[in-house]
Amino acid sequence: MSAEPSWEELMRAANRGEQRAYARLLQAITPVVRGIVRARGGALGPEGCEDVVQDVLLTIHVKRQSWREDAPFRPWLYAVTRHKVIDAFRARGRRIDLPVDDFIEVLAAPAGPDPFEAQDMDRVIDELEPRAAQIVRAIGIDGETAADTGARLGMSEGAVRVALHRALKSIAQLRERMIE
Amino acid sequence: MKTEDLIAVLAADTAPQSTTGERMLRCLPIALMVTLIAVVALWRVRPDFATAMVSPALYKTIVPSVLALAALWLAHGMTRPESRMRARWALIGVLLAAWVVAFVLVLNSAGFSGLISALDTPNLLVCFVSIPILSALPLAAVFWAMKSGAPANPRSAGVAAGLLSGTIAAAVYSLHCPEDALLFFLPAYGIGVLIMAVVGGLLGPRLLRW
Repeated sequence: MSAEPSWEELMRAANRGEQRAYARLLQAITPVVRGIVRARGGALGPEGCEDVVQDVLLTIHVKRQSWREDAPFRPWLYAVTRHKVIDAFRARGRRIDLPVDDFIEVLAAPAGPDPFEAQDMDRVIDELEPRAAQIVRAIGIDGETAADTGARLGMSEGAVRVALHRALKSIAQLRERMIE
Repeated sequence: MKTEDLIAVLAADTAPQSTTGERMLRCLPIALMVTLIAVVALWRVRPDFATAMVSPALYKTIVPSVLALAALWLAHGMTRPESRMRARWALIGVLLAAWVVAFVLVLNSAGFSGLISALDTPNLLVCFVSIPILSALPLAAVFWAMKSGAPANPRSAGVAAGLLSGTIAAAVYSLHCPEDALLFFLPAYGIGVLIMAVVGGLLGPRLLRW
């Protein structure tokens, strides 16, 4: 195995439940997604763009099983990104043309440090039931593990994971509704 | 919420998800069984069922079943966002074209009067009503399975789902249908399946959007 695992290797590991590999993959693809979104959606402003980036990441998460483990990862990533970016722009009242072939050119877009704060996600998290919102914020913003959060809230680690999984599904649905 | 925080949340949720294929395996056999039971219990199998199933009339079950397998392959593939599934559409296209060519050839030899007399039976209406009714459960099952996927084009994915459910229903309905003439089967079953393809195409954008 090479020193730097491929995205395919990381995603396969993620499918087997390896959180570190999954986090690494998401960190690696985020600048690529951001590059595509910015190249197409400069008019949205950095914040609007970051909303779309987060939308794409959430969709990648929810639909990750539609990537076949023996297929290359990039075409799948581009297809999902393209679909969500078009959706996001449609929701904001503009149509864009987005041929996948163009993606290769924008991949070099700067990743940049990550002060990127987006607004939509907070609004959606506020709509979750309080316990679910608490778990999402604890793991995301406070960087707690599921075990920490469980100990603090008097839940088992497994229950926290189940609650988190449901919360992410609800977030995906709520965002979908926001777009409509 | 910062993007890096979102990544931390997503990475903490590595609960395994079922794939479209797994969901199809879980619910399509059930939908098929219930549809079969419905035909046996409510429609009743044709009176000469035992002899018909070992006669050339069996083609009415086999042809839709072959199409259903091709449609299953297509519908499954359509849930992958990065592919248009050209080869799978081509296979469906070839099979449907063969259907149309067969109809034209038979019509050519029998003439319109032959067609009219073949279709002049109350079984025509039964066929048109039965195939969509029997498609309902398979269609719901296919849409439920495909909902977990990410079809690049929800409308054509819906058409594939409609074709699959329509051909399953046609194969099951053939166990009841007493009309064995090609001049009945090709137009009547063909229109029944087509109706379901259209229904699937209309529902797809609503049910398969993501």
